[in-house]
Amino acid sequence: MASTVTPNGFSLDDSGQRVVVDPICRIEGHLRIEVNLDESNTIRNAVSTGNMWRGLEVILKGRDPRDAWAFVERICGVCTGVHALASVRTVEDALGIDIPRNANSIRNLMMLSQYTQDHLVHFYHLHALDWVDVVSALNADPAATSQLQQSISSWRNSSPGYFRDVQNKLKRFVESGQLGPFANAYWGSDAYRLPAEANLMAVAHYLEALDFQKEIVKIHTIFGGRNPHPNWIVGGVPCSINVDQVGATGTVHMTWLNMVSDIINQSIEFIDKVYIPDLKAIASFYKDWGYGGGLAGKNMLSYGDFPLIANQWDNESLALPAGAIINGDLSTVHEVDTRDLEQIQEFVNHSWYSYDDESRGLHPWEGVTEPNFELGPNLKGTKTNIQEIDEGAKYSWLKAPRWKGHAMEVGPLSRFVIAYALGREDVKELVDSTLSELGLPLPALFSTLGRTAARGLECTWSAHKMREVFDDMMANLKAGDVATANMDMWEPSTWPGDVKGVGMVEAPRGALGHWIHIKDRKIENYQAIVPSTWNASPRDPAGNIGAYEASLLGTPLVNAEQPLEILRTIHSFDPCLACASH
Amino acid sequence: MAVHETLYEVMRQHGITRRSFLKFCSLTAAGLGMGPEFAGKLAHALETKPRTPVIWLHGLECTCCTESFIRSGNPLAGDVILSMISLDYDDTLMAAAGHQAEELLEQTIEKYDGQYVLACEGNPPLNEDGMYCIQGGIPYVEKLKHMADHCKAIVAWGSCASWGCVQAAKPNPTRAVPIHKVIRDKPIVKVPGCPPIAEVMTGVLTYMIAFDRLPPLDRQGRPLMFYSQRLHDKCYRRPHFDAGQFVERFDDEGARKGYCLYKVGCKGPTTYNACSTVEWNDGLSWPVKSGHGCIGCAENDFWDKGSFYSAVTTAGFSAGAEATADKVGGVLAGAAAIGVAAHAAASVVSHMTGKQSEESSNG
Amino acid sequence: MSSTTAASGPGTSSLKPVYVYEAPVRIWHWTHAISIIVLSITGYLIANPLPALHGEASNHFMMGYIRMIHFIAGYVFAIGFAVRIYWAFVGNRFSRELFIPPVWSREWRGHLMHKIKFNLFLTRKMEKTVAHNPLAQVAMWFFNVLVGLFMVVSGFALYGEGLGVGSWADRWFGWLIPMMGSSMEVKMWHTLGMWLLIVFAIIHIYMAVRSDIMGRESCVSTIIGGWRYWKDDQP
Ligand code: HEM
Ligand code: HEM
Ligand code: NFV
Ligand code: SF4
Ligand code: SF4
Ligand code: F3S
Ligand SMILES: [Mg+2]
Repeated sequence: MASTVTPNGFSLDDSGQRVVVDPICRIEGHLRIEVNLDESNTIRNAVSTGNMWRGLEVILKGRDPRDAWAFVERICGVCTGVHALASVRTVEDALGIDIPRNANSIRNLMMLSQYTQDHLVHFYHLHALDWVDVVSALNADPAATSQLQQSISSWRNSSPGYFRDVQNKLKRFVESGQLGPFANAYWGSDAYRLPAEANLMAVAHYLEALDFQKEIVKIHTIFGGRNPHPNWIVGGVPCSINVDQVGATGTVHMTWLNMVSDIINQSIEFIDKVYIPDLKAIASFYKDWGYGGGLAGKNMLSYGDFPLIANQWDNESLALPAGAIINGDLSTVHEVDTRDLEQIQEFVNHSWYSYDDESRGLHPWEGVTEPNFELGPNLKGTKTNIQEIDEGAKYSWLKAPRWKGHAMEVGPLSRFVIAYALGREDVKELVDSTLSELGLPLPALFSTLGRTAARGLECTWSAHKMREVFDDMMANLKAGDVATANMDMWEPSTWPGDVKGVGMVEAPRGALGHWIHIKDRKIENYQAIVPSTWNASPRDPAGNIGAYEASLLGTPLVNAEQPLEILRTIHSFDPCLACASH
Repeated sequence: MAVHETLYEVMRQHGITRRSFLKFCSLTAAGLGMGPEFAGKLAHALETKPRTPVIWLHGLECTCCTESFIRSGNPLAGDVILSMISLDYDDTLMAAAGHQAEELLEQTIEKYDGQYVLACEGNPPLNEDGMYCIQGGIPYVEKLKHMADHCKAIVAWGSCASWGCVQAAKPNPTRAVPIHKVIRDKPIVKVPGCPPIAEVMTGVLTYMIAFDRLPPLDRQGRPLMFYSQRLHDKCYRRPHFDAGQFVERFDDEGARKGYCLYKVGCKGPTTYNACSTVEWNDGLSWPVKSGHGCIGCAENDFWDKGSFYSAVTTAGFSAGAEATADKVGGVLAGAAAIGVAAHAAASVVSHMTGKQSEESSNG
Repeated sequence: MSSTTAASGPGTSSLKPVYVYEAPVRIWHWTHAISIIVLSITGYLIANPLPALHGEASNHFMMGYIRMIHFIAGYVFAIGFAVRIYWAFVGNRFSRELFIPPVWSREWRGHLMHKIKFNLFLTRKMEKTVAHNPLAQVAMWFFNVLVGLFMVVSGFALYGEGLGVGSWADRWFGWLIPMMGSSMEVKMWHTLGMWLLIVFAIIHIYMAVRSDIMGRESCVSTIIGGWRYWKDDQP
């Protein structure tokens, strides 16, 4: 190949040194990244390989559509619940089922708490170590750390003594010689820029966030019985509400509602006093590290989510709007029709699947999932010992989804940019104030750091949104409506013989769609296109590269042996490979 | 390598006071359903044992076992990971990546051959030479076998590692198999559930580390302490079951009063787990308590037993044409009745024609 | 139901009646039949409970009673089964036929083929049978011995789940659960077993009544009184 330009405008050159990172850790699932570096250690070619496939779409065939949510929920335990929600929405769409207002509020609350927890865990436990040097925290001055903490927020744990304790723990941990999850990382790399005090503060919050995240998901536990993998039903939610009648404590009752309210308050406090100040503090040291854009700012997609009016799916109702941006033109937000057979399609000519005609894409209603593991002639290694993959042939367990032929980036950044472009005040305010605080222009968002920042802003957005949704639900309960499920179409005997449906969710990582074909009361075909399928997509027949691959191009590595920059950019998408390939 | 420290020393170093250490011990003891004398033993064990290395591998899975694990409230997951065990490899949480990460596996084998615990989440697929789950370019099943060869014992997290779970549901396109199908020469503790309860996970690990032995297991390899009773045996809705008070459909009057969920498909009567006692997320709730029946997520092959919403006897004879035992039986009995009626009619006809022919031949 | 009725029993044949079913077998037959009916009704209601009752839970014990009756009938069924096995050792030669169809006997197989043909209306010749006709014997062996045994083992395996790990029922029968995969699986087959027994009962009762009307020997009265009479003198 040597050097080419892709139809979506990226130059690829596979002539230089090949660097392989497999496994990419601190993500969900199994991902391999290969890049080619030029003489200046700058990435000129990038290859993203999905390393796993389980066959959920095959397994679902012939099953009861009402059970599907439980199967697809197991697509991922990190973004737990999102596939289940997409599934019940899909079935409800196919059968024409409207859900009660409370069910809509509860679903919104569960998804918003999912955002809050998932984003928080991603930032501290999966992503922070790309920016924070744990070992350097050993040299911090606890008093200065305390000052730093107090200067950026009013969070309660801020005394010099507190940070000294954390540092001492860390010291003994390191001295024990058993470094556990911190062993063998790229510590000391020149790519790390934070002062020791900021590192120490971040380490303290790593530990605090680990303890706190489990509180947020208790909203799932109350309404869905547990987390991970809460329960759902077609037609509403499985929990009943009884605030003042006989037997109330046998179901969702006043005490639990109070607890939900409490969790919302705590979440808002933690996100606003810990996560957001940390994010800004860290970002201020990496402002000029502007790499990792790729498709960001060019091609972005959101299906929209959080219908504030039950069963209404337009931008009037959706708290996060739907739309697509193409070729970087923020002035036009295109409408997305997930039912149009020509708009969303999946290609497999670089994927380990087969179609009858692989030059064409298939809309998910016509989708086919037929595995076909086959390696290209330029492979280095053997079938069961891949040293360097041949991206000229099939090279990933992910299909390649495209919108009107375009590779798209999805995720918090896409959602926020689309909301911004549509003039949504809440989002604009968050984005503008953050950018002005950091002294950055809007295009600075279209980068690794922008992706990470958007996720943080969305986290505070969702924590606050929970309050709004909760209050709205309480008002509805006060008005006497306690219904949580519509069971009119529960019995399969009431269903039409042959129907299709589509259900969308904006999952933490981006646009998620499930498509179903129900025939004779059984699943005839079930297809999912998942956020990480979009972002980690392999190439398509036209040669367009996906968001991961595009984002890595042009990034210089400080040290090819320690490809920290690759981790940074890939982690900024919050990859989920179990999701992506399913 | 630095000198080994005991778990207690490490906890002390992490700022945990002796008082809260002892409180931890008694809470853990209570969590395991044991008396105060056990708390003393636990404290003693933790004070004298070095931290055990744990290698946590991920196969085909959804990672929600890890997610569940980090929800543990007692002990806190952070304390387990940083103070009680030495989590030397876990691709979901570790800072390293690529070949630097994989090096840690060999280092652990070198330093702790035969001494580390292998925690397995997810499972290996066998079809396509194992290439439905690739790690570092090789099939996961190879990595699993290699690490199992040198370990002391295996903990099979969740229904994936214990039974096969969702990817092994019919028709199991990747031929995903539970750990015990590929590792036959090491002790395996199964901690099923999709996912298992956080405190059950940390409880099992703590037990193994504190006592340096496997917990007593049932016939199928599950720790008796958490898996010896069905949810139904200790369900707080059980009085409604015995009384015959059922939720007939979601959100009906019975649902709002907390009646039994048996008729909307609760699998509590056939599911061994600790949900109805330990409960989830710091003992806050569990599926039944929040209105949905148990789907049997800790049971072998629970995916292929038919709809989650029909009573217990539903059976997946095949993924496509599943039928309840009652349907199959009803059809058989109906067929028998029709057959009998037809046979009776034929008998009468035959009898009469037979008489005629006898008469004519005699006459 | 006393055997004295035998001597004065009906029949138009001069051949001597044969004492086939001794009293224990007859008593067993009827307790067995009744326990199966009770088990099937209660079992069906366990799987498909009656419409929900309302009011205080402590005022009702509907499911509890249904289950209790099922378990009592289960004990009757199981103990009766054990007694019947014992009787196969000490009873008359007919008492063993239920358990051991003589598949190794060419003659018996001949009779079996004949019975099958007869029931398919392929032959009109009727053979005389002293005890069980071979076809009934095969059916009974499958349904009553195999399925019956399975119902006892699976029933007590399930019962052992309630009694708890380490209980006698768990120790004796609990192995069935891992063997079949899971407790859900055992319940499913336990229910299917019920339906098999119902299928058997339908055919069995029909055949018994039919033989009585059309056959050359007594049938229903035999299982009541124990004696087999003959309707004609031909061999
Ligand atoms: C002819 C013999 C029997 C029949 C037809 C029969 C039928 C049934 C049926 C239909 C069920 C419901 C299964 C379900 O819920 O899916 C059941 C459950 C059960 N049977 Fe039987 N059964 C028989 C013998 C026995 C015996 C000998 C025992 C031993 C005690 C027994 C113990 C049980 C138990 C423990 C249950 C479960 C009850 C529950 O979970 O509430 N059964 N039986
Ligand atoms: C109204 C109900 C019933 C009638 C009229 C009836 C009639 C009979 C008759 C006539 C025989 C003797 C058959 C022969 O010698 O060829 C017999 C034997 C037998 N019946 Fe029934 N039966 C009834 C119900 C049942 C039921 C419900 C069962 C169990 C499912 C059952 C199980 C048996 C068995 C196992 C034998 C063989 C007895 C032995 O050899 O020990 N019967 N029955
Ligand atoms: N990609 C993805 Fe998910 C998310 N967010 C699913 O829809 O992570 Ni597991
Ligand atoms: S057992 Fe269930 S919850 Fe755990 S990884 Fe497997 S699918 Fe996920
Ligand atoms: S809700 Fe489920 S576990 Fe509880 S009593 Fe009813 S059937 Fe049993
Ligand atoms: S579904 Fe699983 S979580 Fe418990 S209640 Fe049932 S075992
Ligand atoms: Mg798909």
